[in-house]
Amino acid sequence: MDLVDLIDEKRFVGQEFLTWLWFKSEERGGTIFLPEAGEDIQLVFEKHMLLEYGEGENREKLICRGLMTELQEARTGLAMGKKLEQARILLTRGEYEWNLSFKATLMEFRNVKPPKTMGSAEEGNDPEAVEGRLLEHLSLHEMVVRTVDQLFRMFLELRIGSAWEQELTRIQAWVRKGKETH
Amino acid sequence: MGLLARSASYVRYAVQGDLPANFWEFAAERIARHCFRDIDESYEERSVGWVSVLNMFDSEFAYASFAAADHVVLSLRVDERRVSPKVLNKFCLKEEERLKKARQIPKLARAHRVEIKESVRLMLVKKVPPSPAVYDLCWNLAEGTVLFFSTSQKAQELLEEFFKETFDLSLMLQVPYLTAEHLLDAPGREALADITPAIFI
Repeated sequence: MDLVDLIDEKRFVGQEFLTWLWFKSEERGGTIFLPEAGEDIQLVFEKHMLLEYGEGENREKLICRGLMTELQEARTGLAMGKKLEQARILLTRGEYEWNLSFKATLMEFRNVKPPKTMGSAEEGNDPEAVEGRLLEHLSLHEMVVRTVDQLFRMFLELRIGSAWEQELTRIQAWVRKGKETH
Repeated sequence: MGLLARSASYVRYAVQGDLPANFWEFAAERIARHCFRDIDESYEERSVGWVSVLNMFDSEFAYASFAAADHVVLSLRVDERRVSPKVLNKFCLKEEERLKKARQIPKLARAHRVEIKESVRLMLVKKVPPSPAVYDLCWNLAEGTVLFFSTSQKAQELLEEFFKETFDLSLMLQVPYLTAEHLLDAPGREALADITPAIFI
């Protein structure tokens, strides 16, 4: 299958993952246990969301923005059958914190703000210091990609396994609750 | 929005194909052959090539190597002389008017107008300074992946083409389904192929 067809036909995989991630982050008040890493991470959905429904020319989009909101419109959108296409996420792992927008269909990492590191004034501009800074930035970006991979694997194993039916029931109950409460 | 910026946007690619045994020599030779060449002093319309991520004017990697641990870290620089369609249209009409008046004819043939457009475009292109665009990339050799610091489709197409031209290796954009295939084992991949959209309501 060529890439364009694959993106179109399997669009739902990324959107389901991101929607599940929102559910998972709210299940334990923003904390998700990563079995692969054996640790808890913090994941909070915030500010900006884009939801989609339908296919091709009939695709409907819903954009929700707002600082410190309960994302009410987005929850209603979910209850109408829309799925999450893009979301702004605050991710904390150990002592590090990232802000990023994740776009589901193409798995794009947008406007990723990695944790602050020491500035060039503190570290100098000699080749070793420059390479050190480069590697530090690189490892922080790779760490966020790896964390998303670990979350994605967690979702996939559920999604293709026998526990999916139970998980789906929990997601459906969360969607209903979100609509009623807000 | 690049690797060293406070905020960055990127996608991931998988590198397809085997690396040569003497990889670093191979990479040095290929990068040198495809490094960026300046067109500020010429009339060339477009130049594409590799530069250092630390300095877009460093195409010889004099200040920092493209090798950082087991990563190749590069910037793809594109300089292009672009004439805005409005400007092109204005100068074409001006030239057409001049010719109609000089030859005392009411209309020019279509083929002639096409000719005028091309010669006017070439004349204008020479007057425009090249506009630069720089996109960073990090190639993780151990994992066979590339982080490309742009979500623009045009930039991604350019990268795919130029990476192949430089290293004889193809890049495949890692959309969720392809990433999933890498993350799962063989039975998992089979099960993945069979799933259909779930209903969350």
